[in-house]
Amino acid sequence: MDHNSNSYIPKLAKIIEIKEEVGGARAVKTFRTQFIEDNGFIHKPGQCAMLSVLGKGEAMISISSSPLEKDYLQFSILKMGRVTSALHETQEGDVIGIRGPYGNSFPMEKWKGKNLIFIGGGIGLAPLWSVLSTALGKKQEFGNLALFYGARTSQDVVFKQELEELKNKMTVHLSIDVEEPDWKEYVGFVPLNILDKKPSPKNVITITCGPPIMIKFVIQNLQALGFKDEQIYTTVENKMKCGIGKCGRCNIGLHYVCKDGPVYSWAELKNLPQEY
Amino acid sequence: MDKILLKKAFPQWVKKLQAYRLIAPTKDGNIWIYEAVTTPEDIDLEFLTTALSPKKIIFPQREVYFEFEKGDNDNPEIKETLPEDDPTIVFGVRPCDAKAVTLTDMVFGGDFEDVYYWKRRNQTYLVGLACNTPPNPNCFCLSVDGSPHSKDGLDILLTDLGDKYYVKSFTKNGDKLLNLAKNLFKQPSAANKKELQKIQTESEKKIIRQINNLKKVPPKLKDMWDSPFWDEEAMSCLRCGICTYMCPTCHCFDINDEVHSSAPLKGQRIRTWDTCQFPDFTMHSSGHNPRPDKASRLRQRIMHKFKYFVEKHKNYQCTGCGRCVTKCPVSIDIIEVLEKVRDYGS
Ligand SMILES: Cc1cc2nc3c(=O)[nH]c(=O)nc-3n(C[C@H](O)[C@H](O)[C@H](O)COP(=O)(O)OP(=O)(O)OC[C@H]3O[C@@H](n4cnc5c(N)ncnc54)[C@H](O)[C@@H]3O)c2cc1C
Ligand code: SF4
Ligand code: FES
Repeated sequence: MDHNSNSYIPKLAKIIEIKEEVGGARAVKTFRTQFIEDNGFIHKPGQCAMLSVLGKGEAMISISSSPLEKDYLQFSILKMGRVTSALHETQEGDVIGIRGPYGNSFPMEKWKGKNLIFIGGGIGLAPLWSVLSTALGKKQEFGNLALFYGARTSQDVVFKQELEELKNKMTVHLSIDVEEPDWKEYVGFVPLNILDKKPSPKNVITITCGPPIMIKFVIQNLQALGFKDEQIYTTVENKMKCGIGKCGRCNIGLHYVCKDGPVYSWAELKNLPQEY
Repeated sequence: MDKILLKKAFPQWVKKLQAYRLIAPTKDGNIWIYEAVTTPEDIDLEFLTTALSPKKIIFPQREVYFEFEKGDNDNPEIKETLPEDDPTIVFGVRPCDAKAVTLTDMVFGGDFEDVYYWKRRNQTYLVGLACNTPPNPNCFCLSVDGSPHSKDGLDILLTDLGDKYYVKSFTKNGDKLLNLAKNLFKQPSAANKKELQKIQTESEKKIIRQINNLKKVPPKLKDMWDSPFWDEEAMSCLRCGICTYMCPTCHCFDINDEVHSSAPLKGQRIRTWDTCQFPDFTMHSSGHNPRPDKASRLRQRIMHKFKYFVEKHKNYQCTGCGRCVTKCPVSIDIIEVLEKVRDYGS
């Protein structure tokens, strides 16, 4: 981290690839970017970056690529408001601004030798993807890897192709919320899929990202299956502007999520006020 | 360094200080504001609490981060706009407002130093004026580890001794400002020192508003998260945000783009003051709001100032200037709120 430089100035980066993941009202696109000058940064899994569309503003987005991937940064973005819509309107070759990386990261060093279960919902697969692909890249350091992933409908599933390929490398449990004619896998919310598959808590770390309501019930159900608070990791989102603990916006009690988060173990998070 | 300056020599010193940008309290209708002055007569040292504190000089309400435009190859160009070199003296700073600057220093310092803040801060000299009588009936500095003659954050402190000022310099920068007009300053006599003592003691007695045992508040707040107390206290709040905009210690801000021309694209990224008392301060794009009501926002204001900041920076994030008490249109009185917290459940 370059502490002497001006933290608020984004670095220019070129969009080298755009992939449409989901269309319609809850559109998601995945972007790959490269810094124009060789002045990028090295992130850790779980960290985020502030993306700028000049004239529109900034949005905090999880870096979904693994740090092992040196050629580009990847972001998967749900179209929500001003900035994310402007990002969805960009074309390959366009230049955006990026500053970061911000926040803490998943403590993967502490997880060596353990089995990892990734649990994602909707766009929450994006922040998971960085840690998941890092674990895959260092597979010998970990035990078994498994993924639970769910979306509202089959249309809303992100990383469809990557998920198919992933099935050759780890156990993948997919789900959608309501029945669809051609759907062969689980139907029901992600937390229920977990109860259905009953993973053993032995020597396991779980990492869960998704909508707050999903996270809440995932944690409840993991606890019901005997998982300890220290075995459950998640990420928190709060509205952010500065990303560096100055603008006073993203706090949960004493914590600034932009600096002290977004990654928390449930053992830590359960002691913080419900302010996210 | 302790000195005496006769009031009749005061204009001569001010003329020397005008080698710098000089900002001082001036009267504007019924209120006092800190503004650039051009003659010693513009300065009104009989001022009551100014509308805004000198925070606005170091952390202005609007700061341009950078300018942007679409360059030749259609790629955006970014031009950093740091504050200019403009050494500035803020003259007539109340001790509470000076202490507040030491608190914003803590926020804008640490890791990720804020270059805009520090560019201004490092070229600002703070010359204080002790409060022989409280400039606001709601002053309560004594309760928050301050005093009407505290030196925290100041380079120099003046105390009015009738026909003269007792001048104390605490820093090299302070000495530098005195040395601009060396021959105007005399050595204080034993009698001057005694008079200073007396005035300081008396000035403390004139402060009516106090909170005894404020130190009981931070631990008390720990168990008050879910209390109905916040609903009751915040009931009348209008969410105007004045309490925080007037506050010398509040530092929350927003960042936005201002577009001056869309084709070709040209504009600025700016930061502006913001407040935790506005509902959309924390509202996500989805509409979800972790602080959805007035109660949770008042709780944030009190918790931040009297719990989180204390735990993080070992100081209350409040210096007792009394502005929020005086200005709140529905008379939400932070002193009363804190007293109720202190006595809550006992
Ligand atoms: C740590 C973190 C990681 C995130 N990761 C992703 C991701 O990988 N993919 C993704 O699609 N989205 C992610 N988000 C959410 C994303 O930041 C918001 O959807 C986005 O900021 C909305 O901006 P907007 O201008 O499109 O919406 P508008 O509603 O127009 O936003 C207005 C302003 O509010 C701010 N804002 C609004 N909601 C949020 C929010 N939830 N979080 C932060 N700032 C907000 C924006 O910065 C913007 O300045 C993440 C948020 C956080 C805090
Ligand atoms: S000044 Fe008073 S009414 Fe306005 S936001 Fe503050 S507490 Fe509420
Ligand atoms: S985003 Fe500004 S303090 Fe966290």
